[in-house]
Amino acid sequence: MTADPADPADLAAHVDLADLLIRHPASTLLLRVCGESMAGAGIRHGDLLVVDRAIRPRRGHIVVARLEDGFTVKRLERRGDQWCLRAAHPAYPELPLDGNAQLWGVVLHAIRQP
Amino acid sequence: MAHATVLIDANNFYASCEAALDASVLGLPLVVLSNNDGCVVSRSAEARALGIPMGAPWFQLRQQLERHGVIVRSSNYSLYADMSQRLMASLEEWVEELEIYSVDEAFGRLSRPGANGGAGGDLSVWGQALRSRVRRHLGLSVAVGIAPTKVLAKVANRIAKQHPGHRESGVFDLGAVPDPDPWLEEIAVEEVWGIGRRLSRWCRLRGIATARALRDMPPGELRRRCGVVGLRLQHELAGSSCLPLQSAPAPKRETCVSRSFSTPVDSLPALREAVATYLSRAAEKLRSQQQRAGAVTVFVRSSPFNGTSFYSNAATVTLPLASNDTAVLLAAALPLTERLFRPHKPLQKAGVLLQDLQPDTLLQQHLLVPSPVEQQQRRAALLATVDHLNRRYGSGTVQWAACGLQPRWRMRRSRLSRAATTRLADVPLARAY
Repeated sequence: MTADPADPADLAAHVDLADLLIRHPASTLLLRVCGESMAGAGIRHGDLLVVDRAIRPRRGHIVVARLEDGFTVKRLERRGDQWCLRAAHPAYPELPLDGNAQLWGVVLHAIRQP
Repeated sequence: MAHATVLIDANNFYASCEAALDASVLGLPLVVLSNNDGCVVSRSAEARALGIPMGAPWFQLRQQLERHGVIVRSSNYSLYADMSQRLMASLEEWVEELEIYSVDEAFGRLSRPGANGGAGGDLSVWGQALRSRVRRHLGLSVAVGIAPTKVLAKVANRIAKQHPGHRESGVFDLGAVPDPDPWLEEIAVEEVWGIGRRLSRWCRLRGIATARALRDMPPGELRRRCGVVGLRLQHELAGSSCLPLQSAPAPKRETCVSRSFSTPVDSLPALREAVATYLSRAAEKLRSQQQRAGAVTVFVRSSPFNGTSFYSNAATVTLPLASNDTAVLLAAALPLTERLFRPHKPLQKAGVLLQDLQPDTLLQQHLLVPSPVEQQQRRAALLATVDHLNRRYGSGTVQWAACGLQPRWRMRRSRLSRAATTRLADVPLARAY
């Protein structure tokens, strides 16, 4: 028995990794993680982050924020009526989201070399 | 439904690209230097506010820049090219048709809503949305000029950038104002897109000083002076479109790669290395354009300022069979350097020009130069691999030995930023500590 040659499932192209990981190519950038403060969220030192700037950050999103001296990766949270950036590790202090921190993009994936 | 033409261009494009992916320079004054770290070619808004002049040589400004803490960068073309592609890709989603006019500038066409033969709805709100989207997604600031024609869209863009009432918003819709005439009166005739220096001088001699005066001058006079080109300008200024968008770029007819040397080149081996380097780059361009060259010109010149007599020369070789194979082009063109080199004429600049370009698909055969199809395919596969490696791991990863290893003449780029979007080793860091 051979498969029906007209079966569309057989004609489908192979899975494209870039397609899978990137929703908005024009506004997607890669950043390299430095440090372990997001280990609790499954993001480790050396991971490659797929960051999409076209997605509006919401509560609970893992985001990249731009501080005065560099980029940082944190979880966007709300405490009362104040937005804040929280590490996934108890040893790191919470940062208020104010004039010094600008939300820059949303982390969609972390790629790790085992 | 009426159509509108929009001109979108990025403000301080090079300087903005430098700041877009480097958190450490946010809000600081920054300038970008031209090739060989020569002159200031782009300034951030903060550098502009400090009064740092455009086009000024770096060595003259050095102290002033240091005093103000201005960040200085060499031109990082791979970063700007990548950001340009991102910009154009996002603009494409906003218009029905896009003409990429330069690295940081594009014309677009879109429908004007609510137009019933009259002026139609204001597109400023649309322009604002586009602008804030581009700023958020790419970190670039753009100016948006909207009008019925390309020439008027240029005018509107200028107003959006420079007029005190619109600079803040960065958007101006000339098609939505009740009377465009006062606006056209503010635009000097020299600033009209496509006018050229000679025609604008001719206009001035006749007392035509503004875009409005140009539009309203007797068409017969303009036609006698410059034929249909002038009439087209006039029509466009009057709001009837006669310059269509060119969304598919015309195939290139020439490809040129040339650079100034950081130190004068006064030996034949060094000139050969430089020419080989430029030729490999030009051949790579050719392959990405899917073209072959039928002729190669090599040109050289000395510095016009060094006191000795100026020397400038060029030589051309015609290929028996058009090619985009670096090895074939090198074999044909490198001997030209011997004809061009003069022992007592130190050279400041050299370049190669690939001419008689034809589509790569035209596989031709030559009676005297046998070249089996199988062999051609093997060469093409090899070159594709070389190009792929250089794209992926950075230009110069794989190169022809003729290019030399550590050339002294290589362009000076002492303040080059990282290839943050095009090289994996250079991506920005996200701190998690």
